[in-house]
Amino acid sequence: MDTDPTPETPLLSNVAFDDLEVGRRYGPYTERVGARLADSLRERIGEPSSGTVAPPAVFPVLFLKALRRAMGGIPSGSILAKQELEFYAPVRVDSDVEVSAWVGEKYVRRDRPYAVIEFDVRRDDGELALTGRKVIVWPEAER
Amino acid sequence: MSARPDLPPVRQPVTQELIDRYAELSGDHNPLHVDPDYAAGTPFGSTIAHGPIALQTFFVAATRASGAETLPPGSKVSVTYRSPVRPGDEITCVAVDAGEEASGDEVRAECRTGDGTVVVSIAARIPGSPSQRSKR
Repeated sequence: MDTDPTPETPLLSNVAFDDLEVGRRYGPYTERVGARLADSLRERIGEPSSGTVAPPAVFPVLFLKALRRAMGGIPSGSILAKQELEFYAPVRVDSDVEVSAWVGEKYVRRDRPYAVIEFDVRRDDGELALTGRKVIVWPEAER
Repeated sequence: MSARPDLPPVRQPVTQELIDRYAELSGDHNPLHVDPDYAAGTPFGSTIAHGPIALQTFFVAATRASGAETLPPGSKVSVTYRSPVRPGDEITCVAVDAGEEASGDEVRAECRTGDGTVVVSIAARIPGSPSQRSKR
């Protein structure tokens, strides 16, 4: 089993929807795109396969790592509703990337709070590798 | 004309063990995914898989189709998560008709469970994707 990638950050957070500040930026966070991560996501999960370039499924993981760091943990009870990924440049396996995230938008629809978290990933040579946005149903604050 | 790219069949059985593995890999230990007791008390009634687990079938199919390790620069993938995926489900990704106005680079796909429920809808632009055009 893989070890926790961000042991210094709590597992979960209870950041309230009302406390999300649109436009606030987090990071950049340096993350290693190691062979173990890349190989785990190249084929069906549970069937590792080796290669030299990070497969596309690495990027949602990099987002989750950045989200956890930005929010002091994964928002407990949050649900992913939508996501967009735009690919610009390949990332080598066994290289570092820098992941930045920011709150792009937040709104309430049908009494459900949604947060749009944007992020980008830059390679160790500074080139933009990917931009993305995730629409998350934010957990209700505990009463 | 409608564009319907060929995507090789990719199936992903989903188990709680696989969900736990993804949680370790990503650091996302949201109790909706990994805590059956917590999840039982939510409207879902059970744990649900991380969204990217179902999406994995599309990424694998798309990269297999292109013969590349990742998607080429200029690719854009838009994903809507429509229904939860639970332990015991098996996810299959299939290409669907991209519609009359679609270009050769546009790909539409769905990830479905064994009973046909669409859990993920994907609209993608993948430059150079092998598309199969069929006359209506």
